Amino acid sequence: MKVIEAEDLSKNFRVKRKEKGMRGSIRSIFHPQTEEICAVDSVSFGVEEGEILAFIGPNGAGKSTTIKMLTGILYPDSGHVEVLGIDPVRKRRQLAYQIGTVFGQKEQLWTHLTPYDNFRFFGAIYDLDNDAAESRIAELAEIFELGAFINTPVRNLSLGQRIRCEIVASLIHRPKVLFLDEPTIGLDPVVKENIRVLIKQMNRELHTTIFLTSHDIGDIEKLCKRIVIVNAGQIVLDDSMEHLKYHYLNKKIVEVKLQEEALWPPMEGITILKKKGGNIKFEVDTAILKINDVLRGINAEHIQDINISNIPLENIIMEIYRTEGRADRL
Amino acid sequence: MLMAVKNQMRVCALAVKYNIMREMLNKVTFLTNILFMMFNNAAFIVQWVILLRLREDVGGYTMREVMLLWGLAASSFGLSHLLFSRVFSLPELIVNGKLDAYLVQPKNVLLSVMTSATSASAIGDFLYGLVLICIFCFSVRRLLLFLLFTVTGALIMTDFALLMGSLTFRFVRAEMLGSNIVASAITFATYPDGIFHGVSRFLLYNIIPVGMAIYHPVHIMIAFDVRKLLAVLGYLVFLSAAAVFVFYRGLRRYSSSSLMQSGRV
Repeated sequence: MKVIEAEDLSKNFRVKRKEKGMRGSIRSIFHPQTEEICAVDSVSFGVEEGEILAFIGPNGAGKSTTIKMLTGILYPDSGHVEVLGIDPVRKRRQLAYQIGTVFGQKEQLWTHLTPYDNFRFFGAIYDLDNDAAESRIAELAEIFELGAFINTPVRNLSLGQRIRCEIVASLIHRPKVLFLDEPTIGLDPVVKENIRVLIKQMNRELHTTIFLTSHDIGDIEKLCKRIVIVNAGQIVLDDSMEHLKYHYLNKKIVEVKLQEEALWPPMEGITILKKKGGNIKFEVDTAILKINDVLRGINAEHIQDINISNIPLENIIMEIYRTEGRADRL
Repeated sequence: MLMAVKNQMRVCALAVKYNIMREMLNKVTFLTNILFMMFNNAAFIVQWVILLRLREDVGGYTMREVMLLWGLAASSFGLSHLLFSRVFSLPELIVNGKLDAYLVQPKNVLLSVMTSATSASAIGDFLYGLVLICIFCFSVRRLLLFLLFTVTGALIMTDFALLMGSLTFRFVRAEMLGSNIVASAITFATYPDGIFHGVSRFLLYNIIPVGMAIYHPVHIMIAFDVRKLLAVLGYLVFLSAAAVFVFYRGLRRYSSSSLMQSGRV
C-alpha cells in the first residue's frame, strides 16, 4: 500500500534580481526585476508502507522543497500529492497527527526546557492525555536511551543528544510516516551510527515509513533500500539500492603493491589513478576486462599486497549528478 | 469541536507558561526588566506633571485623563506583548522561513506562532497601567472597564501588528513599513486625542487603530457611552477578521527557507 503519492508536483519561487553595486541597488528601487526559479519540476513518485526511502540530490536540487510540500508547509504550484490518503494542502492539520518531521537544521524543541517537559508539551500538541503521554515518553526514552539526560535542559545537551530528543519529540504521537531532513548533519561518526541504528530499529519495530534526505552517503547506504535522486528539480533516478549498485558497480578499484615497477603490463580497460614506484592504484572497467584477466596479467609472484574494492557509493552518486540526462539508460 | 478548542487552549496556556519560565531563568534580569520598565514609564509622567502645572489641560485632558490614557496604553501594550509578543516579530519569521516548525503541528498555526514568545518587560508595562489606575483614578466600575479595555486594546494592537506583519508575505521589505506604523500607533497612544485634528485625527481613528484601542475607551471610562463601547467591540471583531484573513491568504505564499536556524527560539 502506498503511503505517499506525488504526481507532477511542481513549485516555482520568484526571486529578486539586482545588478551589482550601489547603482544596481538604486536601479532596483525604480525598476525591480524578478526571476522565476523552478525548484521542483513535475516530480512523480510513490512510497510504500514501511519503506525507508532516500531522497537525495545536490544543494538546491529541490529535496527540502519536496518534503515541505509533502508535509503541508509549502503549497505546490501544480500537481497532486497525498500522504496517507490525505491532501497536505487542504488538510494540513489532519495530516500532522499522522506524520512526524525532523529538520536537522532547525530546532523544534524549547531549549530552556528539559527533554521531558518538551515531550509533555508535544504530547499536549498531539492531544495525548497525561497517562498516554507518560507511558509514551517512558517507552521512547528506553528505546532512544534518554534516561541519563531526560531532565537536563536541552541547551545543555550535546548535538547528538539533542537530535535524539528531536526524533523522540516527533515520534510522541506514533506517526505512520517520519520525514527526516538531514537528521545526522553535524554529528560525529559514532553518534551518526547510533542515530542510524535507532532509525532502523524504529522502522523495524514500529513499522514507521521513513522519508530521508541526507548528504551523508553512510545514512543512505546503511538505512535505505530505495533511492530517489533529484537534480535541478527533476527526478533523475528512482531505483533500489541493490539495482543501483549492480548497474554502476561495473568498475573496480584495484590497489596493488608490486616488487618491481617494470613488471606492470599495459592493458585495455584499465585506467591508472595513482602510481608511485611499485604501488599502483587503478580502475578496471569490468565490461571490457575481467578481474581474472587483470590478475593473470600480473605475475602473482611479484604481488606483495593487493586490495580490490567497489567504487564508493559517493562516487556513483556524484557521477549520476553529473550525468543526470542519462538516467533513462538505467 | 469543543474538545478541539479545549486542547488548543491547553497548548496556548502551556506555551505562555513555558515562555514566562524562559524569561525567569535569570531571576535578576527578569525582575530588573520588570522594575526598570515601570520606572521608565514613570519618567514620562513627570513631564506631564510639569506640563499640566503650566496649563490647565492639554487637548481637553487633565491629569486624571492623562493617567487613564497612560495606564491603558501601558497595560494594553504590556498584555499584547506578554501573550502575543511573537506577532511583533512576524516579518522576521516569514522572511527567514521560521514558520515551518508551527506548520507541521496539528494546531492552529496562527495561535501557535502568536503564543510562542513573551517579553519580561511587558509584565512591567502591564503592572504599571494597573498601578496608575489604582492610585490616581480608582473605582470598582472603572477598574472593571479598565480590565475590559486592556483586553480589547491588547487585541487591537495585536491584530494591527498581525495585519502589518502579514504584508511581508506579499511585499519584500514590508516589515519596515509595518513595524514603523505599529511603532507610531504605540507613540500616538500616549498623547491626548484632543490635540489631533483633521487628517491626523482621521488616520488615528481609522487607519492606525489608536482611537479604538485607547481614545474611545478612555472617553468611556470618563463618561460611559454604550455606542462608543459597541464601536470598539465592532471594530475589534472587524480588525481581527481582517488580520486573520490577510495572514492566512499570505500563508499560501509562504516560501520557507533553508537557512540554518532554530525554528522555535
